[in-house]
Amino acid sequence: MQRYLLSRLLALIPVLLGILAVVFLLIRLIPGDAVQLFLGTQVEMTPEQMAELRRFFGVDKPIPLQFLDYLGRILRGDFGVSLRTARPVLPDIAQRLPLSFQLATLALAVAVAIAVPLGIVSAVVRNSPVDVATRIGGLLGLSIPNFWLGAMLILVFSRYLHVSLGQYVPLSQDPLGTLRSLYLPAIALGAAIAAILMRYVRSSLLEVLGQDYIRTARGKGLRGTVVLLRHALPNALIPVVTVVGFQMGYLLGGTVVIEEIFALPGMGRLVLQAIFQRDYPVVQGVVLVVALLFVLTNLVVDLLYAWIDPRIRYA
Amino acid sequence: MNARRWLWLVVVALALPALPAGAAPVGTTLTIGVDQEVVGLDPNLVTAFSSFRRIDFLYNKLVRYNDRLEIEGDLAESWEFPDPRTAIFRLRRGVRFHSGAEMTSEDVKFTLERVLDPATRSPGRSFIDVITAVETPDRYTVRLRLQFPLASLLSGLASANLSIVERAAVQRFGNLQRNVAGTGPYMLAEWVPDNFMRLTRNPNYFRRGLPRIDTVIIRVIPDQASLLAGVRTRALDMATINQGAVIVQARREPNLVVLQKPGINLRIFSFNTTRRPYDDPRVRYAFAWAIDRQAIVNTAEFGFAAVSGPIPASTPWATPVNRLPSYTPDVARARRLLAEAGYPSGFATRIVTSPTYEGGIAVAQVIQEQLRAIGVTATLDTIEWGTYINRWVARDFDTMIELRGGDPDPDRFLYRTFHSTGAVNNFLFKDAPIDRLLERGRVNLEAAARRPIYAELERALIEAAPAIFLYTPMETQVLQGYVRGFKIIGNGALYFLEEATIER
Amino acid sequence: MPGSTRAFATREAPAAAPPRTAAGWRWWARRFVRNRVAPIGLGIIVASVLIALAAPAIVPHDVRAMAPADALSPPGGRYPFGTDEFGRDVFSRVVVGSRVSLVVAFLSVAVAVALGTTIGLAAGYYGGWWDAVSMRVMDVVFAFPAILLAIAIMAVLGTSLFNLVIAIGVVYTPQFARVSRAAALAVRSLEFVDAARALGLGNARIIWRHIIPNVLAPMIVQVSLSLSLAILSESALSFLGLGTQPPVPSWGNMLSEGRQFLEIAPWNAIFPGLAIMTVVLGFNLLGDGLRDLLDPRLR
Repeated sequence: MQRYLLSRLLALIPVLLGILAVVFLLIRLIPGDAVQLFLGTQVEMTPEQMAELRRFFGVDKPIPLQFLDYLGRILRGDFGVSLRTARPVLPDIAQRLPLSFQLATLALAVAVAIAVPLGIVSAVVRNSPVDVATRIGGLLGLSIPNFWLGAMLILVFSRYLHVSLGQYVPLSQDPLGTLRSLYLPAIALGAAIAAILMRYVRSSLLEVLGQDYIRTARGKGLRGTVVLLRHALPNALIPVVTVVGFQMGYLLGGTVVIEEIFALPGMGRLVLQAIFQRDYPVVQGVVLVVALLFVLTNLVVDLLYAWIDPRIRYA
Repeated sequence: MNARRWLWLVVVALALPALPAGAAPVGTTLTIGVDQEVVGLDPNLVTAFSSFRRIDFLYNKLVRYNDRLEIEGDLAESWEFPDPRTAIFRLRRGVRFHSGAEMTSEDVKFTLERVLDPATRSPGRSFIDVITAVETPDRYTVRLRLQFPLASLLSGLASANLSIVERAAVQRFGNLQRNVAGTGPYMLAEWVPDNFMRLTRNPNYFRRGLPRIDTVIIRVIPDQASLLAGVRTRALDMATINQGAVIVQARREPNLVVLQKPGINLRIFSFNTTRRPYDDPRVRYAFAWAIDRQAIVNTAEFGFAAVSGPIPASTPWATPVNRLPSYTPDVARARRLLAEAGYPSGFATRIVTSPTYEGGIAVAQVIQEQLRAIGVTATLDTIEWGTYINRWVARDFDTMIELRGGDPDPDRFLYRTFHSTGAVNNFLFKDAPIDRLLERGRVNLEAAARRPIYAELERALIEAAPAIFLYTPMETQVLQGYVRGFKIIGNGALYFLEEATIER
Repeated sequence: MPGSTRAFATREAPAAAPPRTAAGWRWWARRFVRNRVAPIGLGIIVASVLIALAAPAIVPHDVRAMAPADALSPPGGRYPFGTDEFGRDVFSRVVVGSRVSLVVAFLSVAVAVALGTTIGLAAGYYGGWWDAVSMRVMDVVFAFPAILLAIAIMAVLGTSLFNLVIAIGVVYTPQFARVSRAAALAVRSLEFVDAARALGLGNARIIWRHIIPNVLAPMIVQVSLSLSLAILSESALSFLGLGTQPPVPSWGNMLSEGRQFLEIAPWNAIFPGLAIMTVVLGFNLLGDGLRDLLDPRLR
């Protein structure tokens, strides 16, 4: 197990380097001068002043040198300063990370709350009209663009129900406020995930229910519900746990559009703004953090799966 | 202590962090919603409108505009021009910076020289670079020596970039992006970037009795519909809105007050006058006749704008638009002009625009449609804001939709925009008679003498058409009914909040 | 952004079935129809394609014609879906918008299939150094948050239909690479491949005649799912302002423009969203049905 862990961690490194290099190049390829953008259209500057500003921002060196510089600093934990605000990048990202985590967790909670019961019902009354309806509903959930769902939720809640959307407040300040500001985006995000999860719950449960030991349990005279809940469900949920884990990894980076719609100060909006403003250090920082989290989450989930399910053997 | 008490102690200890941190502000509080965060607070260095709005609370200038767009004294009590090349300002006495130190002519001298210094890179430099020397005959008098008489000097000094800063503070901190060293009605208490900024009352503010509201909280909410939602639910007391659709909704709310005033920013349709076919003034003038400005105002701004000539319509210098040529659309005449220029069946062209408010994409679409009537097929180059800026700077466009920052004094805006040496003349426009008119207009200090010059300039600019002048969007502030006493100026400035009160 | 289903889609693609003799198409057709879900999906897609093809001819209004007097009118009368801020007919724009969405979807998936399959097949079949490197590269692409990668590519290349296709195509390439690699790996070790080689058949021939037919099954399912994701991606990018540019109507940019008027004219946002949902549902139903058909495990 330890060797597996080590080899997985080592394999991470080239991937992370690759990500960093790709982001570094990509953001610099975007047409547009960061310094000029910083100044806007209303300011006049002499070419000497512009050159001075460029030196100050460090964008005057050749790109390979800039990359090596950057790499060195990352390894020391220095993610640089934002070209726009001159504040260090990592603390800013760290400040926004909690919101992304909270939103992701809430969305997953919503998804699980919807998917598990429906998935169980669907599996138990397989091929009945209820099953078919649930499956189509599930596919519907997959098909709705989550930003459209978000907009529709805002419309319904704001205009018809007259419930206002709370301003985001950090958890430490006011947990209820956090919940109030995040429940709608969580529902918008959770719907699609619920659809995916539900299918997994259903198929996994079906597979487990067809196993011999379930028949044995029934043969022993245990009631259906008991069989379901105590024997079938825990085993069926194992693969589902891994799916949930992977979704968490994705959610941490993929909520840009939802944040835009609900005006949430999360990482997605941060990086979107930064891309438009050519704020290279911020974009690099966020993408690196998100990719790292994604890859680490996947690793953790894989290991968890191996640990929980003794049937899995790794070569 | 027995187990139970320990238990209670633990419970209380655990519960403590959940209590709201920080005492609630004493006295009255005003919460304002804005849609842009600021990057820095140094008045002599910043360029963004959003920064100016914060500086309104924290600093004062020598002079400022009142709500009738007239110059009135701020830190300067009075001023005079003993001769056209000298200006003398007498400062108020007993004005204190937030640090407690008194403001004197030394601070004014320091500020002006800081702005004038090329190394500072101040955007305000071009407003006052006519100053050759700043003298301080005594603690409360400042004398400026000018290279030539400049009519827009006072207007330049009223700019937020010319706010007076404390010399000792700049020498201590280097710059004031994060540290405030002003004389303004409010002091910076707390700043959480991209979230909110809390300002508290300056007890030593030189205007006795002001400000009337004890605490101001500025919240950043990038989405305008969310801003309105905040005002509706009383999470915000006030918000600045510029999206037409949101303003329409705001006006439907019975409990909200929507203050609107014609603004002084100008929406224009720019030409690159060195590119064919726009090197021919007849083609440009033809566009002026083809475009229906009121229709653009109705569609793109929901009617919340005023059609305007080169001088913003809300300022006293502007000629009423019904007396300006080409402000009633005449498609036949436009076609004739095009035919004369050699394009009887029109031509194809491109319009640069961007989805941001300044980029005017809705305006571009309406103009695109209107140009079809004269045979011009325009394709929209919808580019992202960063690319838009770059193409603007590189003068890489045929035509472009722009929003220019205007000013109550015609010279401050017109000179640098349309003079052949003007720094923001990205039309690459050179017209000697117009240059001469601009030069005459700025050195004449008598309003009566300047008026006819600018009237002539307006007509000349419309006919030469380096750009088509469209409209000035209104400034809109949405307030709760219990916020009283605020005066809207028209350039977006918020310093009159010092007179506002909250009456619940 | 459908990245969630992106992560999921790879994992659930069925393993390559053991090589089978070609069953008669009648047998497949019968099974297709009996699976209730797939035909509905196919029907929706066919209808959408037909509407898209006929669009300019069947719309009641010119999609660019502005009628400022009728701006923001509610659905009814001359405007079945209402009008937008410029007085343009929403119904006509939704119908014409289908063209962009479908074209981008089909083309970008084609790109992803071409790129991904080539990479994956080569990796699975030839193995070794090429396998290691190309799969690492695919891992890098895959680890990127999908929407951010697409945004970055669009920001670099500029907003044109072609670039949109490239951006979305690149984002969905890793899925196809993995699926085809898995299929190639599974088949490569089988005896008949060794036999074929012993007989002197070239590698290309082997790939073409033996591996590809067995990649087909998981590939088809993946294609259908990716099509639905591609439509969602295009609309998300247009929503952010990086996809189709006005005044060309696309469901995504109609949603973006319509969001401003959510309270005073909600029809601008409702109908494009419904359109996206319907077409994506069609692809999902088809993909789901095909998976049921082709995957031996779920029967």
